[in-house]
Amino acid sequence: MKKIPVSMTVNDDEVDIYVPAHWTLLDVLREELELTGAKEGCGEGVCGSCTVLMDGHPVRSCLTLAAEARGARVLTVEGLGGPGMELDPLQQAFIEKGAVQCGFCTPGMLMTAKALLDSKPEATEQEVREAISGNICRCTGYAKIVEAILDASHKSET
Amino acid sequence: MDKEFTYIGKRVPRVDSLSRVTGEAVFAADLKLPRMLVGKVKRSHVAHARIVRVDTSKAERLRGVKAVVTGRDTAGVKWGVFRYTQDMEFLPRDKVRYFGEEIAAVAAVDEDTALEALELIEVELEELPAVFTPLDAMASEGPWIHDEYPNNVNVHVEINVGDVEKGFEESYLVREDTFTAAEDDYFMGEPFAVVARFDDGGNLEMWTPNAGPHMKAKPLSNALRMPLNKVRVRKIAIGGAFGGRSEISPADYICALLARKSARPVKLIYTREENTVNVRMGHALITTIKTGVDREGRVLARDITCYMDGGAYSSTGPIATSVPFLCMEQAYRMENVRYNGYRIFTNKPVRGMIRMHGRSFACGVDLQLDRLGEELGIDPVTMRLRNARKAGETTPTGSVVSSCGLTECIEKAAEKIEWRKKYGNLPPWRGIGIGINSVQTGFPLGIRGGSQAFIKFNEDGGVTLNSGVVDNGQGNDQMLVQVVAEELGLPLEDVNLITADTELTANDPGSYSMVSTFAGGNAARLAAIDAREKLFRIAAEALEANPADLVLKDRKIFVAGSPDRFLPLTKVVRMGLIQGRPVSGEGHFAPKVDHRREWVSNPHGQLSEAFSFGATVAEVEVDPDTGQVRVLEVAAAQDCGFAINPMVVEGQFEGSVAMGGQGGMLTEYHFWDGGRCMNPTQLEYKVPLAADMPRIHPIIVESNDPGGPYGAKEAGMSIAMSAAQAYASAIADAIGVTITDFPMTPDKILEAIEKRRQEERK
Repeated sequence: MKKIPVSMTVNDDEVDIYVPAHWTLLDVLREELELTGAKEGCGEGVCGSCTVLMDGHPVRSCLTLAAEARGARVLTVEGLGGPGMELDPLQQAFIEKGAVQCGFCTPGMLMTAKALLDSKPEATEQEVREAISGNICRCTGYAKIVEAILDASHKSET
Repeated sequence: MDKEFTYIGKRVPRVDSLSRVTGEAVFAADLKLPRMLVGKVKRSHVAHARIVRVDTSKAERLRGVKAVVTGRDTAGVKWGVFRYTQDMEFLPRDKVRYFGEEIAAVAAVDEDTALEALELIEVELEELPAVFTPLDAMASEGPWIHDEYPNNVNVHVEINVGDVEKGFEESYLVREDTFTAAEDDYFMGEPFAVVARFDDGGNLEMWTPNAGPHMKAKPLSNALRMPLNKVRVRKIAIGGAFGGRSEISPADYICALLARKSARPVKLIYTREENTVNVRMGHALITTIKTGVDREGRVLARDITCYMDGGAYSSTGPIATSVPFLCMEQAYRMENVRYNGYRIFTNKPVRGMIRMHGRSFACGVDLQLDRLGEELGIDPVTMRLRNARKAGETTPTGSVVSSCGLTECIEKAAEKIEWRKKYGNLPPWRGIGIGINSVQTGFPLGIRGGSQAFIKFNEDGGVTLNSGVVDNGQGNDQMLVQVVAEELGLPLEDVNLITADTELTANDPGSYSMVSTFAGGNAARLAAIDAREKLFRIAAEALEANPADLVLKDRKIFVAGSPDRFLPLTKVVRMGLIQGRPVSGEGHFAPKVDHRREWVSNPHGQLSEAFSFGATVAEVEVDPDTGQVRVLEVAAAQDCGFAINPMVVEGQFEGSVAMGGQGGMLTEYHFWDGGRCMNPTQLEYKVPLAADMPRIHPIIVESNDPGGPYGAKEAGMSIAMSAAQAYASAIADAIGVTITDFPMTPDKILEAIEKRRQEERK
């Protein structure tokens, strides 16, 4: 199988690897780098569980070819905050507001919310709802997710 | 409740959320084991056929393929939830009964090789006539889908209580309506994935999303012909269930078979399409309801006949055929009632339990009550209040309802949306509606036992709770931690869990049918109390006090009323070790039900020890030009007994409104081309998105059930069901027409409006 070289930055780590030409960014993250926070929920760009940031923009990593991510700065949920790092205010708010139920959509939801708050720190409820409308959550009815994102946005203002 | 709690009843963040927000939580698809292979399944491309020949020789010769299995590799064991419904082979040998059914499977070094190998498997099928609707299936002259079931009738549940005919004779008003609904589906976040391996002792280890590991281990042990104690279903993070993880999946078995044959670990991940077609889905229903009422709107008699499209196998058939009726007989008083439920085999994917089980059934009963009320000049809320179940009553099939806050739910939900002010006074195309429902808190009925829990102390005073309870995402782990921390006076972080592992943990009925808090929570609580009593005996001697006078709080054992007389918990634990009486705890709990009750042969007796009750009120606005429904506000009130964690309970209510009401009544249904599901992914099966959702007011009602832990019952399911009913009722109010086919998509709404306009013109 033809392999291609791919170089990118993932969560501040330089990555230089050879991967099959048809691999997606999600394949690279999950299979090669063992960063399994991004999930495959549908494989066709509908559910948003695989969302990561590429140069600050939220992308469906299941629809993004590894080759398209060459030279990009990729941020996954593992780089947002966690062991050995402080939690991002969004992560903290998701915990405190009860925005996590099964947690399968959570990494993708967090990354979409991160992109929103980075570009619009004072997002309104309507803007939050629209921004995360590409991320499906089947457990929560979104109420506590929206509450958590608004809470994190208020905290980062102060 | 007069006792002051530290954690119980408090909005405490869930202990398992941290690993979810950092991406560290491991779901089955995230697992990677040394030398692990990729499994893939070869599926039927027709809906009904005899398997003539399966030739795997070319696939076996492909480089990188390590195992290929077909029906010939199996012991031919048939799975069924009950002894009398054992009709499903995980890898059928003779016949396929639906489009997508398993025929063969491969394990290969990578996904590309596995997919290539599937193409090399030659399958020769002799197609048989197929049936795709219950009515066609019953009218069919054969061949039957299963030889043992003439006319494809899988299950017939018959209930007849009181004198229905007399009830109708005495009624002031009688109505008969038929309601229909297409299949609905779970679309849990996580597509099914399973990892299986055999360890060096020949034990099967498996990681798979499940609603009860013990309920997977048993059928695996049977089908693989290996001892149950060697089947080890392990704990793993689970991405939602909603009823769709209740049963063993053929892929669990197939993955194990591949692992055994290849002698390597195998991971099998379903595509989203497979997760829809090859897991389970909700039944399609045709429900005819006849109800008679007196002048005040009290129901005097009810006769319901329901045909359920069961798909190709029995699955939970007897339960599925009964539950829609049981929910209604719990929610509403009815003395004279007849029910005939038929579950019919069709050549379609298998149907099982789902959170919004029987939407045409429940919505039909409620919509009909609205229409009866209309004719009598009684509003929907009053109709509900007049017929609502009350505590202390007995259901028609003989379940005593020991706690019931339904009236309070109705009143509070109605008040929150200002029912009295709005009903009948809303502007055109606006509507308000109400639905009520009731759900069981577990039903063992022969196939499941109680829950058992153990507590072990560590030398630092922290504990490990061992429990079979599984967490599908609803917060069961948090429930266990809060219960144990409360009873032992520990901080939450000092309570560790070993749960949902068939090797390590004792039996548990599983998380479906809303039983985990009631059974597993009670068992954990009793184990903690047992441990505390042992601690108190040791501490009482040292403190020269009566064990009955001791209290445990903040890691200390105090003599009540004397804050200076205490021992650190750690010290008492160590004293126990030194004195040769180490402290541990054990608890078990089985709900009090009538074990003679059986779904088909004897549907009478105590079904469940407790029942939850819910009422939802919704206000909607319909666009008469597009048929689009905008939901303005929803109040969801549920009697959950007692909210052990109100934040978690609210989350269940909100999610229930999304799935039951917003999705269940407006957008969610499967459509078909013969036996082929045409919308198996979220691209065309529309689940609610954040921007769709209305403002939800969750209202917790607490009736303090005498049997539940701290009075708790279940959280959310009677909202999921009543939300669907409320949406249906509100739309009917807005457009002035009762739509009887669900969900109420814009095309149906426009058609109904047009029909009304034509009639008005006449």
